[in-house]
Amino acid sequence: MSETNQALTAEQAYQEDNDSALGFLKPQFHEEKFPTVQIWGYIGSLVLTFAAYLLVMNHVLPPVALLSVILTLAVIQAGLQLGVFMHLKEGRGLAWQLIPLYLVFLIAIGMVGMSIWIMLFKSGVS
Amino acid sequence: MSFSHLAHTLFPPSVRLPDILLIDVGLVLAGLGILGLLTKTRRWGWLWREWLTTVDHKKIAVMYMIAALVMLLRGGIDAEMLRAQLAAPGAHFMPASQYDEVFTTHGTIMIFFMAMPFIFALFNAVVPLMIGARDVAFPRLNAMSYWLFAAGAILFNLSFIIGGSPNAGWTGYPPYSELLFNPGPGENYYFLSLLIAGMGTTMTGINFLVTIVRMRAPGMTLMRMPLFIWSAMVTSALVLFAFPPLTVALAMSLFDRVFGSSFFTLAHGGMPMMYVNLFWLFGHPEVYILVIPLFGVFSEVVATFSKKQLFGYPIMVVSILAIMFLSYGTWVHHFFTMGAGPGVNVFFGLSTMLIAIPTGVKIFNWIFTMWGGRVQYTVAMLYQLAFIPTFVIGGATGVLLAVVPADYQFHNSYFLIAHFHNVIIGGTLFGLLSALYYWWPKMFGMKLNEQQGKWAFWLFFIGFWVTFTPQYLLGLKGMTRRIYTYPSGLGWHNLNVISTVGALIMGAGFVVLVFNLVWSYVYGERDLTGDPWDGRTLEWSLPSPVPEYNFARIPVVHSRDAWWDMKQKGQSLAALRPEDVHDIEMPKNSPIPFLLGVAFFVVGFGMTFKWWPIVIVGGLGIVLCLLFTGFDYDDHHHLQADTVRQSEASLGRLQG
Ligand code: HEM
Ligand SMILES: [Cu+2]
Repeated sequence: MSETNQALTAEQAYQEDNDSALGFLKPQFHEEKFPTVQIWGYIGSLVLTFAAYLLVMNHVLPPVALLSVILTLAVIQAGLQLGVFMHLKEGRGLAWQLIPLYLVFLIAIGMVGMSIWIMLFKSGVS
Repeated sequence: MSFSHLAHTLFPPSVRLPDILLIDVGLVLAGLGILGLLTKTRRWGWLWREWLTTVDHKKIAVMYMIAALVMLLRGGIDAEMLRAQLAAPGAHFMPASQYDEVFTTHGTIMIFFMAMPFIFALFNAVVPLMIGARDVAFPRLNAMSYWLFAAGAILFNLSFIIGGSPNAGWTGYPPYSELLFNPGPGENYYFLSLLIAGMGTTMTGINFLVTIVRMRAPGMTLMRMPLFIWSAMVTSALVLFAFPPLTVALAMSLFDRVFGSSFFTLAHGGMPMMYVNLFWLFGHPEVYILVIPLFGVFSEVVATFSKKQLFGYPIMVVSILAIMFLSYGTWVHHFFTMGAGPGVNVFFGLSTMLIAIPTGVKIFNWIFTMWGGRVQYTVAMLYQLAFIPTFVIGGATGVLLAVVPADYQFHNSYFLIAHFHNVIIGGTLFGLLSALYYWWPKMFGMKLNEQQGKWAFWLFFIGFWVTFTPQYLLGLKGMTRRIYTYPSGLGWHNLNVISTVGALIMGAGFVVLVFNLVWSYVYGERDLTGDPWDGRTLEWSLPSPVPEYNFARIPVVHSRDAWWDMKQKGQSLAALRPEDVHDIEMPKNSPIPFLLGVAFFVVGFGMTFKWWPIVIVGGLGIVLCLLFTGFDYDDHHHLQADTVRQSEASLGRLQG
């Protein structure tokens, strides 16, 4: 792994305007337009959360239907957050985001799945 | 609410013990003294401009470090109190209720308010310098992390003076932490302060992950990153996944206590074991969050002081990654006795034992790095040498605990206590102290006195073994953890006396350490070269202390151990030509992070006592801070090239 992948040799770096060649390293301070999308995303998340809360508190649905509805709401909200706040489609594009995303799902599903497995023992569910 | 009722809420009998009242007086006097001193020396403006509003990672590091040392003192005093109580059977040094509070605050403070901020002090002090960057990716967010941590820490420490400390252990398990069994503000303090500090921690994780992925100097490929950077990256990733389950568990418990929900309550179909599951879903990765950064520290220290490249770098990287993944799959070993059944327990017992393999690999690599090297016995290196056998024994007893049937005996006994202190003191604390001695010159510009440091080291090292070896035996003799006293005639007395003596030796070690820091700050040898240890990584290419902008010119990296390599080739970063220096864009100080911390503190305090007007005021503060910072585009300034040239010239780093 020694001499491959060199960005700049020391000589080149001396010759070049170092800071402009490394522009990508600079903090990005440029101004954004008004964050309309984010504000709607935020309101949307709140609405979805309160919808789930009200459904549970007011016992409007039988248990199984209730569970499936709030799980659906959760999935919608996860998608919304990924799209609006996690910049899923920005940067170097979706392909770059997918690999970490798979990993995240793997770990998340692993945690949830194993938790269910652990908690499904006879006496725990009172 | 009448006055006497208010007085009783704020100062219940549990905080009116003589020792606490004495501390109250001391704190008030010390507070007044500091205020007076600041006013007299007209330091308020300085404090505000240079510290409270700073976004400079180096200053944030110093603030984390000071906080961590103060918390080490607090946690250490708690520890001495616990050992004083246990020294003799039937002792009445403290009442049972106070003993419970003291072991709770000891554990919580040591993990969340000593080890974590100390680790973040190291990240802040070193990571940007090592990767050749001028700051972290999100400097303002970094300051917010610090002030959220500070708000949480202050809130937690307030509990023993106002309202009463939490008393359900550092794990806060229900049902004992439930409102029904634990009325009063203590557990509210616990949940709220950990929630607030935990948010800061999560943000730090994101910040350093992005910093390391995005801001490395050109040429620093992944496989050229110093191992400390790898460890910081893996730790940040662990934080990112580990803290959400904790946040959820804490928030749900808080809802149970404050809003009457029943997620974890015994009544109304709550599920207390689910809290335990969520807590350790966080808790096991957390123990690796506490130790992996120090694996990084040791990898740097051992290479520097053996004057050799780290042995088996790629294997070190692979094993650190393996530990990261495996550490997500072992959490049930903290509650085998819950009785989830043989299938679950066997799975998690085996996965736990697997972790010992990559850990062992790392130990061998450190030993092989020293092998044939010219080892210099500095204080930093002594801690490394002490760490290896100590951590190996701690790991070995961990494997014993992972044997499920045996754990039914060991669980919650002093054997467990000895195990985790063995890894946490031998790994985390020794690592932190090693790092303290190693990077202190870079942070403060002077070396710590080695002679005094060696005294502190030997006291800590000997004190550690004298304290905890007897505890393994006590565990085997059936002494359980969290008991406030024991009858005579069980054969526990002598071992407990030895253990308390050991704790006193460690206490003496702490006193020598503080003396060493203060003495060296005043009289210590200044570090004029910036490279006092003949180091290998980029932070040693800079003067100590480092100027605000770190690198007048971003370095180009050609190999692992970049600075060592440059020195071998006779290169240096200290011979800049004036025309190489350009304007530098730097983040601007901001009062928002500090104010946000204050606002969170107000919310936390109000909610602890369920005083809703205070909560609303604090909540408005939070919203205002966030709104303001969200639309504040004026967050950076240009450091003029001439200013940089002047500053470099005054450091003798400019040609001509
Ligand atoms: C080879 C590596 C390790 C193994 C096999 C191991 C195994 C275990 C097991 C099985 C337990 C649960 C014992 C019980 O509750 O009965 C435990 C507890 C604990 N371990 Fe480890 N461990 C290892 C390394 C570490 C490290 C590196 C740390 C921290 C730096 C650590 C910190 C802890 C703590 C804090 C607890 C107790 C928590 C509590 O109940 O309060 N362990 N360990
Ligand atoms: Cu564990």
